[in-house]
Amino acid sequence: MTQTINTSGYSAITDSIRNEARRILGDGTVSAVIGYTSSRREGSTQPTVITKSEDADKLLFTAACLNNLVVYLTKAKKDVPHEGRIGIIVKGCDLKALVGLLGESQLKRENLYLIGIPCNGVLGSLFNPSAELNSETIAPKCRECTDRIPAGCDFMPDVETVGLPELNPFYSSEIARLEALTPVERWEYWKEQFSKCIKCYACRQVCPFCFCEQCLCDRNRPQMVEQTPRPSGNLAWHLVRAMHLAGRCAGCAECERVCPMDIPLNLLNRKMAKELKEMYNSEAGFEVREKGPLTSFDEHDDQSFIR
Amino acid sequence: MQKQITEANLRLLIDSLILKRQRVIGPRQSGSMVLYEPLSSASDLVLTEQPRRSVKEAFFPVCEDLLEYSKQGQQVELADIEPDRFPETVIFGVRPCDAAAVPVLDSVFSWDYKDHFYLKRREKTTIIGLACNTADDSCFCTAVGLSPDNPKGTDLMLTPLTGGGCLAESHSEKGEAFLITWKDRFSELDGTKPLPLAQPAATPFDLKKIKNWLDNHFEDPVWDSIAVRCVGCGACAFVCPACHCFDIIDEGSEKAGKRRKFWDACGFSKFTNHASGHNPRNLQPKRYRNRIMHKFKYYDDKFGQTLCTGCGRCIRICPVGIDIAGVLEEIEQQDDSVK
Repeated sequence: MTQTINTSGYSAITDSIRNEARRILGDGTVSAVIGYTSSRREGSTQPTVITKSEDADKLLFTAACLNNLVVYLTKAKKDVPHEGRIGIIVKGCDLKALVGLLGESQLKRENLYLIGIPCNGVLGSLFNPSAELNSETIAPKCRECTDRIPAGCDFMPDVETVGLPELNPFYSSEIARLEALTPVERWEYWKEQFSKCIKCYACRQVCPFCFCEQCLCDRNRPQMVEQTPRPSGNLAWHLVRAMHLAGRCAGCAECERVCPMDIPLNLLNRKMAKELKEMYNSEAGFEVREKGPLTSFDEHDDQSFIR
Repeated sequence: MQKQITEANLRLLIDSLILKRQRVIGPRQSGSMVLYEPLSSASDLVLTEQPRRSVKEAFFPVCEDLLEYSKQGQQVELADIEPDRFPETVIFGVRPCDAAAVPVLDSVFSWDYKDHFYLKRREKTTIIGLACNTADDSCFCTAVGLSPDNPKGTDLMLTPLTGGGCLAESHSEKGEAFLITWKDRFSELDGTKPLPLAQPAATPFDLKKIKNWLDNHFEDPVWDSIAVRCVGCGACAFVCPACHCFDIIDEGSEKAGKRRKFWDACGFSKFTNHASGHNPRNLQPKRYRNRIMHKFKYYDDKFGQTLCTGCGRCIRICPVGIDIAGVLEEIEQQDDSVK
């Protein structure tokens, strides 16, 4: 049965972030605010960067505000104005990515003004941006979200959102299904998924953690990974991507949402996250971690692989 | 030539083609998506939604081998991969926005260099279009001078009729030959009316006015505000029926390998990266500007056509919600006087 999800707080959140953006742009706290604005199709939104307080009314928050805007703070997106302190609107999942970038010394907290969203879920895709938010249309990541209220922001709208009804988790059940397969069956599954890849790199370009200015997979002198969208190059790309994100991915699931070929990329990310949790009790959160689980050594680490 | 065909006969016709070992491509379910792929029977056809990728890959695949090499000692062997290997193909259910892009691709692939890989496939393919009776809010063919039943690029155009079946009208010698070869499956017109066509909501653009602005505004602050959100992936170009940029690369080892041609996109930062390290399109707005300039100015200057058919795919899949119809609206509203 389809359950409706309450988004009645979103218009009050919109009013509140407009007021705050107007204030911080007006008094010079920030030089720009990165947020969401409406687009041509009914209900659709797109990221925007506003620099004048009179543009604050262009901002909004709705269930169609899917993007993780943190990608616009990375050096891969260095054409977004970065002078002075920047205001940015973050949902809980987005904030976890931002916190990860703070831990990797990619961002400085004092250069940011964080506007947190007490989120009650967003849509799974923008194919139909004016769709009602319900248990069918909600993004898979929201179904098992435990971080819908961001912590440690500079501003949060004083709006109560009621929380989500109990929804069947998507990723944990999919991972359990795949774990129950034999290695051969699992390999067949992923081979089929990767065969769909057309190497548009939308997954890479929206990922806050894919901030390398020279991606290994773009190199041709020497060529590290086959670049053509064929089985070997596709497999190499997706394994490189998954492994580079292990212990870092914060679960915003943007890679999966934007994949035009419906490759379930976040399943790999969640599987990695699960392993990291089990092996190193490490997971993405709202606390800045100085050391990543795979970039540091602790004598309590599992050493059973040394024989 | 105009004929009529019942739905049952259309299916029989497709199955007969397949039985004769003719390659038949059409929109079919492929996992979670509908794609133009080879059919194994008429029942595979899915005509209720637009395929996720365009029909261009029937002539210009995502990736294809151009030649192979092998080396033994000082001896290098080069082998062509014969374009003649391409089979005769019929493509059914091609949407007008996809078919209209084919002549656009023809112009560029038969321009100063004849791309035999493309042209051979074209020569051996018959395109059977299907008019649209539904549109969504991303469709805008009517805004760029086309329509849900425009026959551009088709050999034979099918227009669904009230009460089932289709009107079939040939628009090329190939289409006429097809009607003659399969005349038993077609009948004469009985005056049945076509189903109401789809009505995309977008209002027609003044493409002349847009081009005039583009002619004079290579440098303009509007590009920054439009493209600041672009993250530089190739999704829009790859789902586009008209985008046709590709790269060529040698893959393999010192001993043996292949030269391959594969899709490329002007949104990628490496697209114009020079060997020196200099990149004339060093920032994303410059790359996005190229996308718009190529579609609505450069291509028009060179070939007198627009490199956009209003299929709406890029609008549906853009990771950051860039809406090309919205961008054109914004450009249309600019003051087009020369600064």
